[in-house]
Amino acid sequence: MKNCNSENNEFDVIIIGGGITGAGTARDCALRGMKVLLVERFDFAAGATGRNHGLLHSGARYAVTDKESATECIKENMILRKIAKHCVEENDGLFISLPEDDINFQSKFVESCQAAGINAQIIDPAEARRIEPSVNSTLIGAVKVPDGSVDPFRLTLANIIDAKANGAKVLVYHEVVELIKEQGRIIGVTVVNHKTQENNKYYAPLTINAAGIWGHRIAEMAGAKIGMFPAKGSLLIFGHRVNNIVLNRCRKPADADILVPGDTICLIGTTSSHVGFDEVDNMRVTSEEVDLLLREGQKLAPALATTRILRAYAGVRPLVAADNDPSGRNISRGIVLLDHETRDGIPGFATITGGKLMTYRLMAEWATDLACKKLGIDKPCVTMTEALPGSREEEPMPKGKTYDLSNRIKRSTVGRHGDMASKIASDNEFDNSLVCECEDVSVGEVQYALKELDVHNMEDLRHRTRVGMGTCQGELCACRAAGLLSEAHNCAHQAKADLAKFLNERWKGMYPVAWGEALRESEYTQWVYSGICGMNKMEEK
Amino acid sequence: MKFDTVIIGGGLAGLACGIRLQNRGFKCAIVSAGQSALHFSSGSFDLLNELPDGTAVANPEKAIHLLDKKHPYAKIGDKFPVYTQEAKQLLLDAGIEVQGDSKRNSYRITPMGTTMPTWLTLTDFTTLETPNEVIGKKILLVNIAGFLDFNTKFVADAFETNGAECKIISVSLPEFEKLRQSPTEMRSANIARVLENENTLNALVAKLKEASKSFDTVALPAVFGLSSNDPVKKIKQLLDIPVHIIPTMPPSVAGIRTQKRLRRVFELAGGFYMLGDSVVNAEIGDGKIYNVYTVNHGDIALYADNFILASGSFFSNGLCASMDGVTEPVFGADVDFDPNRNTWYNASVFGAQRYRTFGVATDDQFRIKINGKVQDNVYAIGSVLSGFDALQEGCGAGVSLLTALYVADHLKK
Repeated sequence: MKNCNSENNEFDVIIIGGGITGAGTARDCALRGMKVLLVERFDFAAGATGRNHGLLHSGARYAVTDKESATECIKENMILRKIAKHCVEENDGLFISLPEDDINFQSKFVESCQAAGINAQIIDPAEARRIEPSVNSTLIGAVKVPDGSVDPFRLTLANIIDAKANGAKVLVYHEVVELIKEQGRIIGVTVVNHKTQENNKYYAPLTINAAGIWGHRIAEMAGAKIGMFPAKGSLLIFGHRVNNIVLNRCRKPADADILVPGDTICLIGTTSSHVGFDEVDNMRVTSEEVDLLLREGQKLAPALATTRILRAYAGVRPLVAADNDPSGRNISRGIVLLDHETRDGIPGFATITGGKLMTYRLMAEWATDLACKKLGIDKPCVTMTEALPGSREEEPMPKGKTYDLSNRIKRSTVGRHGDMASKIASDNEFDNSLVCECEDVSVGEVQYALKELDVHNMEDLRHRTRVGMGTCQGELCACRAAGLLSEAHNCAHQAKADLAKFLNERWKGMYPVAWGEALRESEYTQWVYSGICGMNKMEEK
Repeated sequence: MKFDTVIIGGGLAGLACGIRLQNRGFKCAIVSAGQSALHFSSGSFDLLNELPDGTAVANPEKAIHLLDKKHPYAKIGDKFPVYTQEAKQLLLDAGIEVQGDSKRNSYRITPMGTTMPTWLTLTDFTTLETPNEVIGKKILLVNIAGFLDFNTKFVADAFETNGAECKIISVSLPEFEKLRQSPTEMRSANIARVLENENTLNALVAKLKEASKSFDTVALPAVFGLSSNDPVKKIKQLLDIPVHIIPTMPPSVAGIRTQKRLRRVFELAGGFYMLGDSVVNAEIGDGKIYNVYTVNHGDIALYADNFILASGSFFSNGLCASMDGVTEPVFGADVDFDPNRNTWYNASVFGAQRYRTFGVATDDQFRIKINGKVQDNVYAIGSVLSGFDALQEGCGAGVSLLTALYVADHLKK
């Protein structure tokens, strides 16, 4: 039985998952005229999307072992530089050979890159040292490739903003608890609103599962089985940019061999290990992983040994076994699009998974093409040329303001929001007052995020603005931001609980690396919030 | 340079020890790197709020017998009540007006509006007898417009939970405009500096008088009195209804004032305070330290009969943690810690943290050890010591003050 106000509950397509794949698919579907609903159980980019290197792969890493992935990467790399320039840093990358590496691998590597269409150039080690002074000076070879950095939070949000601008409905903190079946066909979803605990039903002729590793369970709800394997990858974030060019090892892909500069920090990763499905919601980085990341990272850039570590975190990549290989030994890192109607006899349901951050747009295109086919829509994909909001204008700052942000803050906000920075109030001194001094986040920017960017809590706010992401990891800005949050949502009680949760989340990433300066900072934060504010006792109450 | 005693660290412990020693006729120098934990304090001094197992303490004097023998208080033993009295007297003599009783914890109001047990509280602030006591029925909660480190909503929420009725207002004065032009200047100490001007303070009081007419209580952020508590007294005197000053997020105006006062008293007593200096090296003999060298004094050594390490915990760089250990950087003193890093932390940020119990190992007279050997003339006091978790137990200020006085009294000329 459908609800009376069925208008509002009926869509052309329902997308499950607010990571980059779901966001990209929602945007593509909306651009092609579909009535779209996207549901996400937490916040945007809360899963694997927000827990990776933020590397704009040139594809070089895969050139030798997986030409198809390499070719996809370089194509998407070039597209993202155009359509998402406010999310991308064109840093370039170096693949270095160290004395312990086989230098003969280099020629094979360059050949493979060129075959995949990647502009890879061998440069002299001395030249490599000149353009990237942090590089291990004992290197014996270097290849320059068009790697870069990409901010996955910004990229996801830009897709969401554009999807909404094209009519998509987006529900965060709404978890799918049931796929509605009628005569063997999936006709919709039941979601629980985590804020109100209410259940709602939504209907569409097609539901697309874009839930990453959690899509395993969604598929099971539909009665389909996908051979997925959660692969944990741990990373370390350092307090500043040690390097300005992405550093990789010129060898077969291994643990901890990519150092990526991004925004104000740089990060090393990843480790790689299979974990159980019971662990995917509570990833913790072990001290062994930290030790390994540091040991290997120092080989790329020796300065890491003395650089302050901000935090450690881990993501879960969904590895998918090929359908003809139930043992799971033949695992693909490529894009997997499953039409469950033809595969499992379950009409109305599809899964888009595998792939990587780099190829999200292509994944979205494939999934949307399938949706078009199912719904009889004949419209071409335009996402390879249509720029995302934030990257549309050349000169993003508005003119004619009586009082401008100081240049430094201006650079930060434009960097984070691109041409959307013009929506950030900067009319007076109140708006310009800084909430977060590490990352130059103003009151105006926080209020813009609270009003316009689906911010429900402190974690959301951090993802939108970088509040609490700097060296102090939210020491004083957390409390200031919580104050603004409680004013915007008019609920101090909730904001206090949220502040406590936020501080715990920050600590979770800090304690695996809490020695030296990081421990000093942590002790101070604990002194402020437990000692002075008494929040340790509030939690008990 | 020759002193009777050189104290390394100019925070609460170092200064209390230095004042006591000067008063006993010792010639002291304090080497201080800069700001101390007092700059970030709550405006109260905790003695003992909880036992390590989490049991709440109502009467600290009675509870110290339940502490492990490694706890600094256990080393002070039966003299504990004497030293709590003398510590309070030292603060009062320094012109730092405090109230509180070591036989009975009282309650302070936090920047979140909640209450926490404590021992001594600066008279700027309010001391409550019970945790759920309200400061008024109809409270006007005032903030300075644009000041983000005082969270009126949180404070109001806590007060209202206990049955009070709150109205929040922001006041602005033209004198704050200059601060506001810079995005980082609306902080507590800067606001306090503006309010040091009597005319500005009067203008604020006039606004408060007008706004508080239908209320029975006014609550204000602690942005008054960098050098004395006169501004607070003045406000309380000029308004017709009770005024309560609520602590803000750091920096702490009252804490900065406390630090300044203690330093002034130390210097007036003849002590030598070397601000912005730090010890880089020490000449260590057989169970004894001869002298220390500092950054600012280069090759001029500071000689002394006794040395006192009051350099604080990790935050103050009195202790340094690396991936596989904890060291004391000044003398390389032996440190109590667990070499297994996995045991250092509690996954909850608000939980007891084992790393906070790490610190310098001492004998029963608070003398440090180097490679297991007790150093006859080197003592450690305050947060650099091992054997307690200042945050979980709520005993940081107490340990600093009491160990400072205890060690000062046991030094021989």
